[in-house]
Amino acid sequence: MINKTFIIIISICLIQFFSNNSYMVEPDEVLENKKQELRARNISKNIRCMICQNQSIDESSAPLAKDLRILIRDKVKDGKKDKEIYKFLTDRYGDFILLKPPLRLNTLALWILPFIFLAIGIFIVFSYNKKSKKI
Amino acid sequence: MAPFLGNFSLYLSLFFAISQFFVSKKNSKLKAKFIAIAANGLLISSSISFFLLMYVHIVSDFSVLNVFQNSHTTKPLLYKISGVWGNHEGSMLLWILVLTIFNYFIFRLYNKKNSAFISKTLETQAFITTGFILFTILTSNPFERMIPAQENGLGFNPILQDLALAIHPPLLYIGYVGFSAAFSISIATLSLTNIEKIPWYDYMKSFVVVAWTFLTIGIALGAMWAYYELGWGGWWFWDPVENASFMPWLLSTALLHSLIIVEKRKSLQAWVLLLSILAFLLSVVGTFLVRSGILSSVHTFALDPSRGIYILAFTAVLGGYSLILFGTKSKKYFDNNYFTFFSKEGSILVNNILMAVVCATVFLGTVYPLLVEAMTNNKISVGEPYYNSTVVPIMIPAILVMGIGPILEWGKEDKSKTFKKIFPSILLTAIMSVFIFLIYQSYSVIGIAGIILAFWIISNNLLFLIKKNKKYSIGMIIAHLGIGLLILGITGSSTWQEEKIIRMKINDKTKIEKYNIVFEKINEIRGSNYVALQGNFLVYDEKKNIITKLKPENRFYPTTNNFTTEVSIHTNLYRDLYIVLGEGNLNDGWVVRIYYNPLVIWIWIGSLIIFIGGIVSMNINLRKLKIL
Amino acid sequence: MKKQLLIILSILFLLILSTFFYLLIIERNPFELPSNLLDKNVPSFKAESLLKNENFISSKEFGNEIILVNFFATWCGPCRDEHVYIKRFSNEEGLRVIGVNYKDNSSNAVEWLENFGNPYSDVPVDRDGRIAIDWGVYGIPETFIVNSKGIIKYRHVGPITKKIYKKINLLIKEIEQ
Repeated sequence: MINKTFIIIISICLIQFFSNNSYMVEPDEVLENKKQELRARNISKNIRCMICQNQSIDESSAPLAKDLRILIRDKVKDGKKDKEIYKFLTDRYGDFILLKPPLRLNTLALWILPFIFLAIGIFIVFSYNKKSKKI
Repeated sequence: MAPFLGNFSLYLSLFFAISQFFVSKKNSKLKAKFIAIAANGLLISSSISFFLLMYVHIVSDFSVLNVFQNSHTTKPLLYKISGVWGNHEGSMLLWILVLTIFNYFIFRLYNKKNSAFISKTLETQAFITTGFILFTILTSNPFERMIPAQENGLGFNPILQDLALAIHPPLLYIGYVGFSAAFSISIATLSLTNIEKIPWYDYMKSFVVVAWTFLTIGIALGAMWAYYELGWGGWWFWDPVENASFMPWLLSTALLHSLIIVEKRKSLQAWVLLLSILAFLLSVVGTFLVRSGILSSVHTFALDPSRGIYILAFTAVLGGYSLILFGTKSKKYFDNNYFTFFSKEGSILVNNILMAVVCATVFLGTVYPLLVEAMTNNKISVGEPYYNSTVVPIMIPAILVMGIGPILEWGKEDKSKTFKKIFPSILLTAIMSVFIFLIYQSYSVIGIAGIILAFWIISNNLLFLIKKNKKYSIGMIIAHLGIGLLILGITGSSTWQEEKIIRMKINDKTKIEKYNIVFEKINEIRGSNYVALQGNFLVYDEKKNIITKLKPENRFYPTTNNFTTEVSIHTNLYRDLYIVLGEGNLNDGWVVRIYYNPLVIWIWIGSLIIFIGGIVSMNINLRKLKIL
Repeated sequence: MKKQLLIILSILFLLILSTFFYLLIIERNPFELPSNLLDKNVPSFKAESLLKNENFISSKEFGNEIILVNFFATWCGPCRDEHVYIKRFSNEEGLRVIGVNYKDNSSNAVEWLENFGNPYSDVPVDRDGRIAIDWGVYGIPETFIVNSKGIIKYRHVGPITKKIYKKINLLIKEIEQ
């Protein structure tokens, strides 16, 4: 029941916003420099919208998403590098805000295991192949 | 009266499930008769229970808590019906119904020759069914009353009032729940000795084909709904609950192919027994993830953890028992047949391994944030970029192999012979690919790879169809053709998408690709349970002919205080034109988001063809079963 | 080989099940994010003050006593609901509460505080929401406990309820020791 209440509360907060609502990347946000705009959008696509479920701020219609999109564009215009922008956001919101999990000690297993799985798989196929030739 | 009867039927079904469990164990003269009573009783009582729940929803009996929480008198009839399974308690009743239907068909296989085997299968199936019915009665009874009854209900989320979404759960459940039959057969195979004459893999295959076919179309409908309804421009988001349906799909695809090897070469039996256990376990774990309240997702039913603990315990019991059984009793099913990978069985093995690797990776990505949270109290996200980096590169060789696999012979293949066989399709692939690139003129690396792969599959299978070679199963050819088309759609829509976001006032024009779009006017409209602002956009081609009028809406549903955006889409074989209306007013104009999505329709067409391939295969398999 | 494989699989299976079990039995909200600023210094900021003439400068205000920081806005319904507890923090517990007015209309905010009571010692105005972003705020109302050394010790997302009110009071007593 706690979860349900929370959802209702958040939706109410969002609904309050709807009268001055915003939808995804707005034309007013778009930077003039196409290269910068592309950078900003690529960064945004990797930033999680904190109040939505599983959307990036690039797609989200939430006000916080819009604020973050504008913030990212400001920083891109200021000449900040991608790494610096990500650090700015993770300092405040934690690694949770990144949709692509960063390579850290606690995500080592996450990034390495798929390749280990693949290696095991390839090993099995090759050993099958080898053993079949022995017969 | 109806709620009382519905509840009574539910308890009755529990009785039949427990009875079936016990009568299947015992050896008695009247065993067959008792089992018949149990299986039939189980099916009838769960059906009555389910349809009575549907009845109280249709007549809007708000004294039933489930109806009050999820329905409203203004809901259209279709959605009152689909609302039955659109909530946790009602969907559990659907789970149970499907379990009892599969149970019934297992029972129909019963004959003198296989009585011990089918009894054991039914015993396992009964145990599973008992577990789910008990869960429903103890923690999630849809017939709980709310007295005094309110005048009206809490309505229902309007986003979920859609046709595709309405049929999506039942189809998915036939998939998930259908794997219970394969699981039960696997348990029976492992538990019993002296079953050399029992064609357990034929029984299993029939159930797996049915479950796989419906799981495929269920997932496709969910994706289709997301695309047409959500307005996010996409159809797959690697949401944990989506992953929960994808994992059984991956394993059951591997299972389906491995069963062919068991049939033809009597090999890989142990692997098949393990896969069928894992596929169903993943279905149950999926159920757990959705309903336990452990995850936040668009799909989750927000519930309290005590329900989660029950399902977890049940998963532990099923998983523990089946894996220990496999560990101790599977030895005789391991064999020393090895294959070279340049053969049909070799290519199936490669496909299997790749499906398993992808499944393991998706599982890792889904579960990892929970592991991190439990161990470090830190939260991380594993989103689309992760899966794009890991899963997509692995699926590419799988698809490549899928093209050649069916052509290869059983046993070793002569390489030069193979080249002769595949030469026509290489040629056809080249021609089709060039053709597509001439039309779309977009040349990204991934796009090229995807298109070539897609046409590789399509041309191979088209040639099979044309040659009408009896050697190849027609169900497989159709299904593989479907996958080729699916990949065509996925590649086109992901890599060649064009997007435009602008602010438009009435009478403004804009251009995307070769289309001119004019913002004609804004209307206020009323629907049955909503009011909306609707934009009218005229779309012209380069010759100034009007192609269509797109009418995206922003809706408000007063009963649930919900806002939704209704996307407007014009579809043809080449591309979708997709418009979303944003915020705005007459003075400043409106924010408009326009997508040009090439080849999207092939995703849905491809899925449908895979489904047809599955149905054709089902027919063949079920006919075979009758002979057994 | 096969036996080893199965043992590994079983251990993994157990690990995963126990993780799920653990997460279920502890009290946790899957929608809530732990603050990344816990045990870190208060983000420094300068802002216009809603009711006073001079600007609000964070470095002057934090680091002397325990302070509650509450992000609120007049257009936010739950902020209205929790306001009674914010007042209680100030009146009954004698705590200093700073209210950050988030993306709001200042005259509305002044009126709101006049109507419903002003428990805040200061009301810095966060016009564009950047201060909130510096604090890692993602869904107002949010309330932070800052200790006397200017370190953030706790954050609650969502309105203060009776339960949370008690919890915060207990936490403050612990922090004070």
